[in-house]
Amino acid sequence: MNERQAPNTESADKWEVQLRKGSLELAILAALWGGRLYGLEILRHLESGSDLVVAEGTVYPLLTRLRTLGLVESEWVESDSGHPRKYYSLTAAGRERALEMGRTWARFAASLNNLVAPLNGAVREEKP
Amino acid sequence: MTLPGASQKAVDDYLAALRRQLRDLMEEDMNDIVEEIRTHILDKTAPGDDPGQVEQTLAALGAPRDLAARYCTEEMMRRAEAHRSSTQKARIAGRWTFSILAGVVVLVVSAAGYSFGGLLVIAGIAKVMWPKGTGLWETVNTDGTQTLGLSGGSGNVPPANNAHDILGWWLLPIGLILGPVLIYATYRFGRWSVRKLWPARRTNYAATEPQIEI
Repeated sequence: MNERQAPNTESADKWEVQLRKGSLELAILAALWGGRLYGLEILRHLESGSDLVVAEGTVYPLLTRLRTLGLVESEWVESDSGHPRKYYSLTAAGRERALEMGRTWARFAASLNNLVAPLNGAVREEKP
Repeated sequence: MTLPGASQKAVDDYLAALRRQLRDLMEEDMNDIVEEIRTHILDKTAPGDDPGQVEQTLAALGAPRDLAARYCTEEMMRRAEAHRSSTQKARIAGRWTFSILAGVVVLVVSAAGYSFGGLLVIAGIAKVMWPKGTGLWETVNTDGTQTLGLSGGSGNVPPANNAHDILGWWLLPIGLILGPVLIYATYRFGRWSVRKLWPARRTNYAATEPQIEI
């Protein structure tokens, strides 16, 4: 990469980081919609269901924060792996928040898709 | 589940460093976080004893300091602060309650000590002045019960015909020696309690006062 391009790439990267950060909370709440999961299961779910590269050091603190906010609750459950695991599940407030965020997201994505429409041709041509 | 020595040490060091960085949080939160990260590492490295995998897992979590910083959010710090101040309030309330109760006990014991000591001294003196009327009287009542009473004076005669003086002249040394001893002991007890319960803030005048040279 040459120097002229660098600032451009950097701000694009920053934008992507912000985008991921902002959507991670919704992604986690949505992951728990189907029932309780422990941290590593949530991580694997996020990675398998998307091309999100999720930093492990981000998900655990975020789970703790969601718990402090009362959106999820946690319990230690014995497992046959030899050590207990901390399972997370949505609280009533968490379900409500997930729905609300899901709705907002759908609206936002639809509007932005419209706005991005003019670029679609160009983006498709880029792909081999 | 155990890891090979070197990997186990790397994990232990990582968790110890994380714990140190989380020291500002509530202890309960801190333990919960460290345990969760420990199980994460164990799950990630479970299949093999590959030391590279431990290294990779720790790297993916990020440096302990950075990981801890993500935990120490405003909400968590507020939670820790609220917990700290509530335990502090409980401690102060406990100290006050203890102080008041101890104060009442000291008051009652002192009052009893001084009164009984004083009574003994007065009885000792009265024995000299009205030897026949003063004594520790044991009276057998009509219903067979016994009454014990300390009395003196009253015309220098026994309080009742069937009253029996238990101590006799022993009342003199007992009253005049035991009385003052009891009063002094009560005084020492009072001073000791006050010093123990409400330690004064002592100022070291020698150190604070300016030295005047003549």
